[in-house]
Amino acid sequence: MTGWHLDDDALRRYVERTDSLAEGTSAEQHLLSCEQCRGRVTAAVDVIDFAAVWDRTRDAVEVPRPSVFERLLRVAGLPAHEARLVAVASAFRGVWLTGVVAVLAFAALAAAIGHTRGMWLFLAVAPIVPCLVVASSYDPRMDPALEPELVTPYPALRLILLRTIAVLALALPAMLLFGLVVPGEAAFAWLLPAVGFVTVVLAASTWVSPLRAAIAVSLAWLATVWLLAARSSSPESVLQARAQAAFLALAAASFSIFLLRRRWLRQLRPWR
Amino acid sequence: MDSRPSDEMLLAAVAERDMGAFRTLYERHAGWLAIRLARRCNDRDLVADAIQDTFVAVWQRPQGFRGDGDIAAWLWGIAIRRLVSRLRTRGSVAAVFENPGAAPAAEDQVLLSVEYGDIGQALARLSPEMRAVIQAVVLDGLSAREAAQLLHVPVSSVKTRLYRAKAHLRAALAEGSS
Repeated sequence: MTGWHLDDDALRRYVERTDSLAEGTSAEQHLLSCEQCRGRVTAAVDVIDFAAVWDRTRDAVEVPRPSVFERLLRVAGLPAHEARLVAVASAFRGVWLTGVVAVLAFAALAAAIGHTRGMWLFLAVAPIVPCLVVASSYDPRMDPALEPELVTPYPALRLILLRTIAVLALALPAMLLFGLVVPGEAAFAWLLPAVGFVTVVLAASTWVSPLRAAIAVSLAWLATVWLLAARSSSPESVLQARAQAAFLALAAASFSIFLLRRRWLRQLRPWR
Repeated sequence: MDSRPSDEMLLAAVAERDMGAFRTLYERHAGWLAIRLARRCNDRDLVADAIQDTFVAVWQRPQGFRGDGDIAAWLWGIAIRRLVSRLRTRGSVAAVFENPGAAPAAEDQVLLSVEYGDIGQALARLSPEMRAVIQAVVLDGLSAREAAQLLHVPVSSVKTRLYRAKAHLRAALAEGSS
């Protein structure tokens, strides 16, 4: 630039920090605009482990940026690492959500157009979707990210509850929206059964894999709906207060079992 | 020299997610940034963290450089603020300003007065606390709040020290010229 450069002595004093404030400031001003002297300083500095810092920097930038959902969870007050654990659940990957939404949309459409049979279809599908989504959100076979998570000492109960809440927070509004397409009270009749099935899956997952539990629950429900549909032609029977109360009781009982047996959740891994 | 890509070219490549250019940029700038930070904070781990944060920020927002001035100056602006922000989150860790050359040798003193005139001596006569404030606010261009976080003192102290330091310098320079 100007032909003036830091001489070797000044450079050494600067790097060793034995210069005065005025001299150091002058050196710093010069360094900002002189690539050559910057290079000489850089070559003389070993104040930190540059290779290690580079490795960390590269690792940090190669980690994908948190998804919108994960950032939302953080805004909601969840610590960063927990937001990551909740958000990596496979249910939040686009494909999964699309599939769930598509199934629901078909069911809701069928209910809106196809009268009684369509209504049965909606009542058959809607209550089991949440428990399937919840189960897949923490089943090790569905979610490779779970494997490292579960070998680290992390309260499995907290993780699963957080994920369940997050899944439901995503799935329930979507399903309610589709429910609006469905005529009559059936639009909301599936809510209590859905909650009941989710808790059954949680409780059952202390014995078997959550996905297996969810599939079993789903099959049982489909069979029940099929039987009901075959016997009486009205879908209203599910809406009766007694039936709804039974689902509520089921939810309460299952959740108690889940809490009582929660220590068995730590044995998630042997399912693989 | 001409075969080496300029910083601007490297930054443009970083914007295209070029890891090689990113590495070159790191190798070119991490060193002098680190020593300049280390002159303001003697916790090496914090300096290393601040360097990492700086380059992560560069990777994430290379377009933050608007093309005016030197990339080096832009990088320094990021680095010193990352250091301040690290200090804020660490909280209790004291950042102690090195006292650069409390007593320069006689020959250096002569050199200084030749090279920098009276200002160098005037600065040298300031107390370490005042010099730290002058360095942070006047020379590094930090706000009073950022300087307060860097030095771990209340904002009000930064302001009074800065005021007194300027008064000292003014008096010393007036005395020298008369």
